[in-house]
Amino acid sequence: MPVKQPISPGRRRFRQPLWPYLFALPMVLWLLAVFGYPMVKVVQYSFQVVGGKTVRWVGLANYRFILRDPIFWKSLSNNAFLLLAVPILLALSLLFAILLFERIRGWRFYRAVVFLPYVLAPTAVGLAFGYMYQYNGVLNTLLRHLGVAGADWLGKASLVMPSVMSVIIWQQLGFGVVLFLARLMSVPAELYEAARIDGANWWQEHRHITIPQLRLAIEFFAVVEVITMLSWVFNYVYVMTAGGPGFASHVLEYYIYKNAFAFRAMGVASAVAVMLLAVTMVLVVFYFRLRNASQAAEE
Amino acid sequence: MFNRFWRIGTAALLSAALLLAGCTSSKPSGSNAQGGGEGAAKPAENVKLTLWYWAESDAPGANDWMKETIQKYQQAHPNVQVDLVIQSTDTLAATFQAAAAAKSGPDIAMQWATMPVLSQVWAGAVAPLSDYVPQDELKHWLNLNENEYQGKQWAGSLYLIGVPLVYNKDLFKKAGLDPEKPPQTWEDFEKALAALKAKGITPIGMGNKDGYTGAWMFSNLGIQELDSTDELKQAVLSGQDLGNPKFTGWYQRLNDLVKKGYFNNDVASLDLTQGWKLFPSGKVAMSWTTDGNLSQWIKDMGEDKIGIMKTPVFGKGKLSQVFNATQSISLFLTSWSPHKEEAAKFIQYLHDGERLQAWYNRTGVFPADDRFDPNNIKSPVLRRLWDLETHGSQVWLENYIPPDIDGNGDLAAGQVILSKNGGPADAVGIWKRAAEAWKLQHPDEVDNYKNWVTK
Repeated sequence: MPVKQPISPGRRRFRQPLWPYLFALPMVLWLLAVFGYPMVKVVQYSFQVVGGKTVRWVGLANYRFILRDPIFWKSLSNNAFLLLAVPILLALSLLFAILLFERIRGWRFYRAVVFLPYVLAPTAVGLAFGYMYQYNGVLNTLLRHLGVAGADWLGKASLVMPSVMSVIIWQQLGFGVVLFLARLMSVPAELYEAARIDGANWWQEHRHITIPQLRLAIEFFAVVEVITMLSWVFNYVYVMTAGGPGFASHVLEYYIYKNAFAFRAMGVASAVAVMLLAVTMVLVVFYFRLRNASQAAEE
Repeated sequence: MFNRFWRIGTAALLSAALLLAGCTSSKPSGSNAQGGGEGAAKPAENVKLTLWYWAESDAPGANDWMKETIQKYQQAHPNVQVDLVIQSTDTLAATFQAAAAAKSGPDIAMQWATMPVLSQVWAGAVAPLSDYVPQDELKHWLNLNENEYQGKQWAGSLYLIGVPLVYNKDLFKKAGLDPEKPPQTWEDFEKALAALKAKGITPIGMGNKDGYTGAWMFSNLGIQELDSTDELKQAVLSGQDLGNPKFTGWYQRLNDLVKKGYFNNDVASLDLTQGWKLFPSGKVAMSWTTDGNLSQWIKDMGEDKIGIMKTPVFGKGKLSQVFNATQSISLFLTSWSPHKEEAAKFIQYLHDGERLQAWYNRTGVFPADDRFDPNNIKSPVLRRLWDLETHGSQVWLENYIPPDIDGNGDLAAGQVILSKNGGPADAVGIWKRAAEAWKLQHPDEVDNYKNWVTK
């Protein structure tokens, strides 16, 4: 009977870590196929013009077209406008989370109510608010009963983006509240007791204890919402305004959609998608660096 | 050793399972109106046709008619199965774009007539219908000229849609207007609008959040200074000529109507179908609409309450006198279909005499076939509409501009005017920009468009 040679420690260390990777490999391959391949193709298309039966390499022509296109700049400025929703969401989420944290009567019910919009489909939310914001819709009817003149929330160029923003804030608020509340639950109660003993008032407690304790959660929420305002608002615009009136409520995703699927300008759409991806990646890297810096500072 | 064997085996099984899941093809979605007779003899080759279908928005009842048609066809042809996939208005063009890019999808598809069809013809996604349907059959189909290119008909018509201006006779009487003599000139039209407004009646009810009312105004008002559609095509190719009042001067008239408050005050926040609800509810005196809606409004309001007119005329061009009927949506064979002959036979079956009558009975919309007997039209209002749609020239101007310019130019410009967010100069700027963008992004299509103009 052959004698089995013992495995040297070096070989044993090399072989053992392979198993987790082998188990994960099929899914990694699948993710590369589903996400990686389309990303490569999008970058490729951004340098091409697909004209019927022919595909032409045009270099940076699509990027130059975008930079000269007033509709692109309008879309970008609308996304930039939506970034104003981030500090509003931060402030409102903090406020609601703090109120719920103070265990007011029925706080669990209020938490569920505040979170409920977040679980609704954005399309359904957009449809409902699309009806409510009509010139003779529910909102204006209520305002007129109160003696206030209604406005054309979706038909007036100056009001359409604030109207869309209000819906996004309404829906995203619940996520921030639940995130902050969950983090608050793990803050040691002794910190607040010690602060009260030292004579801190409500504002001082939350300014000097709550907000620093929530710093990581705030950073995370801020970055997620910035990414949302840049690249996750298509549903609202598509359903509520179709990018109108004119181009007043175009956002970058809607610009990509129209160029890719309505106008068959796949090259232009891909170029904008690449630019949006680059900005999003920068934000993600920025978030990780911020988090690492925060953790290093705490240590 | 046993543990190592177990781990290898588990990893191998997992990999195999995931690979199999990834490679499994999914069955296409959509309703399957099967109806073959039990025990019927089946010839050698079974054929499965996929039909991407849109018509319900134009003609309520169209979906049920098609399901019934498929059932009857399958009973008569047991070896043929037709899979019906209903399309939505918002994704009709985009979905077919994806199919055309992949050269995979339906055997029979539908796109709006003329440019939406021809742009797919030029992209190589369409097989010429006239190669598969005999001319002695095609000669009966109406408005086939809308999809004619290089001597071939590339798509077939199913029904005719006109866009009359419908008016409420009672509200006309209330405003002191003669309900049996609607305005024919633009001058008379403006007087009628003023009279209605003076009596507190909203003259026109439409919805333009989705941009379609603006597009309809282009087809009804923008046509009036033109002598031919080729003039428009030349202007589109040049881009700058679109600033000529011949092509965009009508925006001033539309702007005037808006500024004087002749449209409903929520026109910018309602979409087209929402805007249509205003007329049958008696809230507005007039509305542009389609045959299917008109049939329904006659049933809802009564024959004696409704009148129709052509869009009043201000223009001096030859096309100012045409009516605006179009086949609206066109059926065509896809170039990649392996069953073109069978698909063409199915399309022919849609023009079977019994099917034409059934179509009209269900939808109230006129079939696009001269074998349809107009004596079947009992309503005097609808009979007048039939005469408008089948006598004289018919042009729906929107059909003749590229889809990009339609979306980025036509619809957007109309929204700017109807929402009071800009004036005629802004509308012209939008058109020019759309034309330049189209030329930059679709050089192949521009070449084909030029050939189409000169042919």
